[in-house]
Amino acid sequence: MAIGCCTLAEDQQVLPGGERQPLLELHEVVKTYPTAQGDFMALKGISADFYAGEFVGILGKSGAGKTTLINMITGVDRITSGEVLAMGVSMHALGEDQAARWRGKNMGIVFQTFRLMPTLSLVNNVRLPVDFCGAYQPRASFARALALLESMEMSEHALKLPSQISGGQQQRVAIARALANDPPIIVADEPTGRLDSATSAIIMRIFERLAREGKLVLMATHDFSIAQYFSRRLEIADGVLVADSGRVGG
Amino acid sequence: MINWQAFAWLRPRWAKALADVVGNRVRLLLVVASIAVGLFAVGMIATMHYMLSEDMTASYEQVNPANIYLYTTPFETKFVDSVRRMPEVKDAQAERTFSVRLRSGKDEWTRINVKAVADMESMSINRVRVLEGKWPPGDKEIVFDRHKLESAHIAVGDMVEVRLADDTLREMKCVGVVQDQTIGAVGAGGYFLADLQAYVSDDTLQWLGQTPGWNVLLVTAAENAYDEAYLHVLAEKIVDRVERNDHLVMNRVVRRRDDHPNMVYVEAMSGTLFALGFLVVFLSAFLITNTLMALLNQQVEQIGVMKTVGAKRRQVISVYMVLILTFSLLGLMISLAFSGRAAYRLLEFLSKDLNIIPQGYRREPGAILLQVLIALVVPQLAGAFPVLRAAMLSVQEAFNGAWLLKSSDEVKWLDFFITRLHLPRPLLISLRNTFRRKGRLALTLITLAMGGAMFIATFNVRSSMQTLIHTLSRYFIADVNLTMERPYRLEDISRVLTTIPEVGQFEAWAGARAEILDENGEPGETVNLMAPPAESALIEPVMLKGRWLLPGDQNAIVLSELFLSNFPDIEVGDTIRLRVNGKDTTWVVVGFFQFAGKAARYVAYADYTYLSQLTHQVGKSYSYRIIAARPLKTIEEQKQLGQILETVLNRYGYQVNDISPGLWLLQSATTGLDMLVIFLLIMAALAALVGSIGLTGTLSMNVLERTREIAVMRAIGASDRIVMQLVIVEGVLIGMIGWFLGCLVAFPISQGLWVVISTALFGVSAEFTVDATGFVLWIFVVLILSLLASILPARNAARMTIREALAYE
Ligand SMILES: Nc1ncnc2c1ncn2[C@@H]1O[C@H](COP(=O)(O)OP(=O)(O)O)[C@@H](O)[C@H]1O
Ligand SMILES: [Mg+2]
Repeated sequence: MAIGCCTLAEDQQVLPGGERQPLLELHEVVKTYPTAQGDFMALKGISADFYAGEFVGILGKSGAGKTTLINMITGVDRITSGEVLAMGVSMHALGEDQAARWRGKNMGIVFQTFRLMPTLSLVNNVRLPVDFCGAYQPRASFARALALLESMEMSEHALKLPSQISGGQQQRVAIARALANDPPIIVADEPTGRLDSATSAIIMRIFERLAREGKLVLMATHDFSIAQYFSRRLEIADGVLVADSGRVGG
Repeated sequence: MINWQAFAWLRPRWAKALADVVGNRVRLLLVVASIAVGLFAVGMIATMHYMLSEDMTASYEQVNPANIYLYTTPFETKFVDSVRRMPEVKDAQAERTFSVRLRSGKDEWTRINVKAVADMESMSINRVRVLEGKWPPGDKEIVFDRHKLESAHIAVGDMVEVRLADDTLREMKCVGVVQDQTIGAVGAGGYFLADLQAYVSDDTLQWLGQTPGWNVLLVTAAENAYDEAYLHVLAEKIVDRVERNDHLVMNRVVRRRDDHPNMVYVEAMSGTLFALGFLVVFLSAFLITNTLMALLNQQVEQIGVMKTVGAKRRQVISVYMVLILTFSLLGLMISLAFSGRAAYRLLEFLSKDLNIIPQGYRREPGAILLQVLIALVVPQLAGAFPVLRAAMLSVQEAFNGAWLLKSSDEVKWLDFFITRLHLPRPLLISLRNTFRRKGRLALTLITLAMGGAMFIATFNVRSSMQTLIHTLSRYFIADVNLTMERPYRLEDISRVLTTIPEVGQFEAWAGARAEILDENGEPGETVNLMAPPAESALIEPVMLKGRWLLPGDQNAIVLSELFLSNFPDIEVGDTIRLRVNGKDTTWVVVGFFQFAGKAARYVAYADYTYLSQLTHQVGKSYSYRIIAARPLKTIEEQKQLGQILETVLNRYGYQVNDISPGLWLLQSATTGLDMLVIFLLIMAALAALVGSIGLTGTLSMNVLERTREIAVMRAIGASDRIVMQLVIVEGVLIGMIGWFLGCLVAFPISQGLWVVISTALFGVSAEFTVDATGFVLWIFVVLILSLLASILPARNAARMTIREALAYE
């Protein structure tokens, strides 16, 4: 089932000559953390463009800087220098509330530890982004949340609490939540990190499908064994982009 | 149970707020209880205040109270008609009042006040309410007011014996009991010091030895009955008319139509009680701050999630405001359900002491509004700090928990300190735990300390009141105050008194009724002018300004503090003009002394020799004050001495008007003040309740946060008992620290409270005394409360299984 398949055409500007505008652009992204031993540079100037329909794997060993990069992309942490342009908007120039609102509408975020609201039912977890991001028709959002859960094969659990389902199921609900506002970009940081390989495969296929449906899916992982799912692979080591398989089928 | 998260119309953010409300039952219970108690305190006081003022005014107006009382030489009924015809006068009524003595024991006689009214059935001014028996009294029958009737042991149907001024004895039948709300409206002591009041028919007057004619004129004003200044002008006009008719006005009293004699108590207490009520609210707010602090510490990650999915800061804030609002509304419902009723119950209970008629239970919109306002505002303010702090977190800060680490205070210096104390292990651990969350501990201790301070203050205020009354009793040192029927020669009375072996010392005092003359020479307020002999041993005044009388003082006068407050222009050294026994005189003010303040009327002391010359009573006196040969400790002993004196004086043919034991004043005044103490105790109890709710809350939060630690302890073999013991020891420890701090805070609080109360009640800020009772009682209360407060959290801690505990995150 394709959820929100029609949004792409509106969001994507097609330039003369058939060249598509990138959905997300990174320009010389640098991040340094202040530490006791002085500043530590976790990202040393990373540049890349990403397009709708790509399933991008950001690969690297633990400590390579993947999470740091993801945080720069989602804008939850300050950038030291460089720029992140998402759909032409400079994320780091926005104020905190504006950034939250922009992120809520345009980026779906999936975490390693799922981070579902423990006291909300699954369906309400999925509705939450719609509730905070404006145009709210309670009944419609409820129906949509159920549909999203259905697409994740979770609808029969809709009224359960997160603690009542397994980790793989929780992650599927988290993905449904990330899709609630039908954002063009999905960002996931080690979403399979806490899951067994069979469950991981299910999750990966979901992301694959989402990319096929036109989303830009960015996923950080240290697990090279799942690299075959990605349509494009970026490799990071010590804060440096060491390899980029490049645009495929663009 | 229905799952309300299935309701499609309910926004998920409110679903979250509701889930947090009901998520922890202990928390729900404590927060709601705490809010409810705070609201209840203010709600009850507010309801009480509104109802009491309304009922007091309403029930007083129902008796059609006199606005002007004139005490005159006897006049006839037709004179009343002429006053009634004055356009400014709505109505006038004639009365005859006098005092007789009522047999209250075998040889015991109590002075009572008797009055007869012209046309008693259709009595229109100062109407009484019949409680029992019949009204009006017929010939040779008597009806009593209920005030102080109990102590006279008289019931309807009894025969009572009265003794007239000339010692004639008369038997009368008590046929009824009434309630007269004007008792205390005239006379120096107000309601609580007023004599027992009785009513007889005018046919009985002559039989009771009264000469024909009325001696009190009561007037109600046709307009401006609520305007005291106007009433004074009107009184002056009527006095003129009385005097033109060749009658003399001895005394006048002016009273507004809404000025119930006991209103002064209500007014004096309202402000203080409101302040205490708000203090309880304030304390209950601390629990909210503490609870939200703990709640938000647990929910940092959830706040991060809300922000990642697009929540703006104010949306996060609104989730928690709704959470608080839900708590508030639950508390408000409880408070509204009980505060009004409780206030009315209390009003009914006090109505007898305050001499009012309750006008029926009703809702007081003002009090309800106040509770709603406080419920909406105060908890939100209390939660504002933790909520704002949490809402300001960035997603990053929220997720990496850096903030949490910052707020879980490590107390290294304390560790260092306590490990050096050789204490039993559980106590050691408890001691450490107690200090782990400094902010929470501080708020809990403040709540406990303030609650305790209020509790202790109540007792200190009570003892200060008693001290004040004792101070006042220094003006009435004598064991027996003897008032004779007419002035007798001092020499004659002395000769008799010296023959009585039980008598130690005695003094003759002079006295006169005076009126203050204004700049136009018009008489105004009545002054009770007394003159002890030079260097009297029977009065020990407390001077506020200037000096006391000295031997040889001529027209020197010392005034009570009421002059200071009502005539602020008078200074020591100024002159004051008084009309004494109809003669205009000038006096030099040499000092001001402290007396019973607002409750008392104008009192002044002058030189004995000078005053007796002025009143042509040289060598004679009405009034004698006696000290026993051996010290008398009880009022009973004083009464016995009084009986001896009377018997002996009677044998010599001297007629006694009244004998009052010196301690009697003390006793009557104390009853009135006990009522105030009841109120203070209720407030103190509420404060203590809030304190213990706060303590329970803190301990539950501590237990919850230490779940992991408790699990580890159990895993290494700690028994249920040890785990419970830890929590209980911690609770008691906090309780004891709270007690100690409460004792310290109690000093300024009681002093402040006493200044406010004594100023409101007496118009002076009187000496403050400390009473150990409160301190001692509070330590027991704290012990019990902190034990009770720890039991629930301790049981929860002990019940936790290792699996549950380790699963908790
Ligand atoms: N808040 C921080 N302060 C200091 N150093 C940090 C912080 N966050 C991450 N780092 C460091 O930056 C590097 C990259 O970390 P991270 O992006 O989390 O790596 P990855 O997600 O690839 O495992 C690591 O060396 C890590 O220690
Ligand atoms: Mg990482």
